[in-house]
Amino acid sequence: MNHISAKPAPVETEALTLMLGDRVLLDRASLRVERGEVLAFTGGAGSGKTALLAALAGQPPAGVDVAGGIRVDGHLLIAQGGRLAPRRPLALQVAEVVGHHLGLDLRLALRRTADGLDRMGVPAAARRFDLPPEQLPDSLRWACLFAMAVAVGPAVLLADAPAAGLDPTVRLRLLHRLADWARADGVALILAGRPEDGVAGPADHVLSLRRGRLLAPKPPRTAPLTPLEPPGASRLHARSVGMSYPLSPGPKGEARTLAVLHGIDLDLRTGETLALLGETGSAKATLARSLLCLPPPTAGAVVWMGRDLMAASAPPATGEDADNSGPDHVGLRRARRDLQPLFPDPAASFDPAMTIGAQFDLALESLRPDIAADRRDHRIDEALEEAGLRPEAALRWPAALTVAEAAHAGLARAILPEPRVLIADEPAASLSAEERETFLDTLMAVRDRRRLSLVLATDRYDEGLRDAHRGIVMLAGRVVESADAETLRTAPLHPYSRAMLAASRGERPALEGDAPSAFGQPTGCPLRRRCPLAREFCAQAVPALEEVAPGHHVACHYWDTPAEG
Amino acid sequence: MAEFDQPPLSHPVPPEPPRAGLARQLSGAAVLAALALACAAAPLMADGSAVHRLDADPVAAALLDGRGSLSFALLAAVLGGALGIGWALLAGLLGNLVGNRVERRVIGAAHRMAGWPLALLVPLAGGLMGKVWLLALVTAMTAAPAVAALAHAELSALLRAEFLTAARAAGLAEGEVLRRHLIPNLTRPLLAAGTLALPRVLAAESFASLLGLGLPPALGSWGASVGLAGRLGDPVAFAPPALLLALALWAACAIADGMAAGNRTP
Repeated sequence: MNHISAKPAPVETEALTLMLGDRVLLDRASLRVERGEVLAFTGGAGSGKTALLAALAGQPPAGVDVAGGIRVDGHLLIAQGGRLAPRRPLALQVAEVVGHHLGLDLRLALRRTADGLDRMGVPAAARRFDLPPEQLPDSLRWACLFAMAVAVGPAVLLADAPAAGLDPTVRLRLLHRLADWARADGVALILAGRPEDGVAGPADHVLSLRRGRLLAPKPPRTAPLTPLEPPGASRLHARSVGMSYPLSPGPKGEARTLAVLHGIDLDLRTGETLALLGETGSAKATLARSLLCLPPPTAGAVVWMGRDLMAASAPPATGEDADNSGPDHVGLRRARRDLQPLFPDPAASFDPAMTIGAQFDLALESLRPDIAADRRDHRIDEALEEAGLRPEAALRWPAALTVAEAAHAGLARAILPEPRVLIADEPAASLSAEERETFLDTLMAVRDRRRLSLVLATDRYDEGLRDAHRGIVMLAGRVVESADAETLRTAPLHPYSRAMLAASRGERPALEGDAPSAFGQPTGCPLRRRCPLAREFCAQAVPALEEVAPGHHVACHYWDTPAEG
Repeated sequence: MAEFDQPPLSHPVPPEPPRAGLARQLSGAAVLAALALACAAAPLMADGSAVHRLDADPVAAALLDGRGSLSFALLAAVLGGALGIGWALLAGLLGNLVGNRVERRVIGAAHRMAGWPLALLVPLAGGLMGKVWLLALVTAMTAAPAVAALAHAELSALLRAEFLTAARAAGLAEGEVLRRHLIPNLTRPLLAAGTLALPRVLAAESFASLLGLGLPPALGSWGASVGLAGRLGDPVAFAPPALLLALALWAACAIADGMAAGNRTP
């Protein structure tokens, strides 16, 4: 005990200053990270996290000037995105690094890496190292990089945006395993990432990099901006909505399809906010687009205020008279005016060949023919201001907008025709940190002012439910739990909801392994290979949604049974 | 309005990077334009009188040859570009009307044919058929598959663009989406694909003329002059057409490359 604390800390900086030209990235920061300590830096895009880590690793990026004292013992840097050659076998690349650091030959280096993979919880069956990284799933690549770090066993591990882009439950599982290893082996671990990436979860200390200073992080907003009003009558109904995509014909020429959405029922009431929660492959985005009939679902019915949208959006049977005068087309246009989408990549949802204002004008002309042409500019300015932009933004080209401005412009376009429902598919996916919070606050303010219904599809459990009345948790195209937001935030019952809740709070999710691909779904419950409650019966039947309390539905065979062994 | 939307000083917006390939494209276009002008003015260099081509000095003769080469290349490139773009549009249309399988077959044929040594058809056609317009048609067809493959890739990338979904969400009918969004965004990538034909037809025609199976001698061609000078072993007559041909090929490639690169989204 004593002789450990007598040694100097493996990472120490003294008034470390980073300058990029005349811009201060980091102003006189003094840090000290002990052995076995996990430190996380968070910060938005361009806040200087990568430059800080690179400076600690002794390789500051070109153009960044470093001043002040840095002392870092034998370190290993995992760069952003992992930096692996895409076409060389993964085993060779990892073993080369391990062998270089430890002076081992290939066989011993591979054995050490395999031990590291055991500590990362990768089952032996999943180790396909002779494949190049581009053919492996992202989660396995990151697990392998972490295993490489474990095999090398440095005094300090610096990881830049570790496991970024993975689903929250998978990411948090890997990060917690890495932190466990660091604490057990006495490694100083420094993680850097965006605040919504969850690097803060497994860390002992969190510092937020804002305006060149390392500060305590701002706790995220947990309560709604303004108290939620009770919703009104139900207007939008979806009945057994299903979506399947055609695949190439099978060996005997039979038609094959891939079903991604399985008979979803859903009602949306006036002024209600519904969160669609799910990770990659849960088909939450497909459901959101099906509600808009863009494209229409292949099964079921979507009814808006008594009008069947699927019939209206189907192409006319006769083919020739596809002009705008058919009664169906008028009805569809009316529904399009009421139901407006927000896109996950707002910048791509604007035509690059037209200014923002011209596109808004076109949308108004189409959806609100009752507004005179000379009044449209006024409406456009109002919508832009309401969405938090200056009216001058109408004169700009989409390519000239920043990512945040594009997101706000997307919101302005959606509220332009005075809709009643916004259907938002990960609207803030491209934003980070403060920009993300600002955008979501604007969205909620717009919703409250206009008393809009909102469908919000997201993979951030807490953030989605924070402003919602009700939540639906989706997994592999099925609803696994639906309840009011408060219940889902405090006492979810399905193991998948619990794991998503844990991941959103930075805790360790109780799920093992990765989500199966859409082409290799297990029989029975799609979660059974990862689930702590899984028993043999789970392989035999897909659990049906049953009501466990008024308004609370769960689809799990064993939601009320504790985990075995 | 720009001064109102100044970004905060902490996050300066980096200056817009120049469009990729623009410099190459412009220099290629300048060189080709200069060549075309020089070739057009070549009769003035040859003493103004209607001299026989072989009597003129080698540079003037090479410039006179360029008239045949360049005008034939332009004709065949326009034909080939139009054929290729038409092929891609036809594939897209068939995919819409009949089904994806037909579209894949039609464009798969273009991909396979783009790998065949179609340029060998040009001397064959030159040897068998004397007519210039037939030769131009065959030359155009050798360039069309590559144009069709690129044009179809651009077309299908654009058809998946999110802003088309946004336009449909704004209640625009398919005809309106086509007129307001698809056609304005499609013109440039299709033109860029069409310019791919220019270096290909120029090379194919020069190759055929080099073998003596290309353009009729009366029209004159760089390839024919290079071939003749090579057979006679005359370095002074060999150098000017060879250099001019190399320059024209470089310029045509630079234009096609630059247009395709500027069009590619990073």
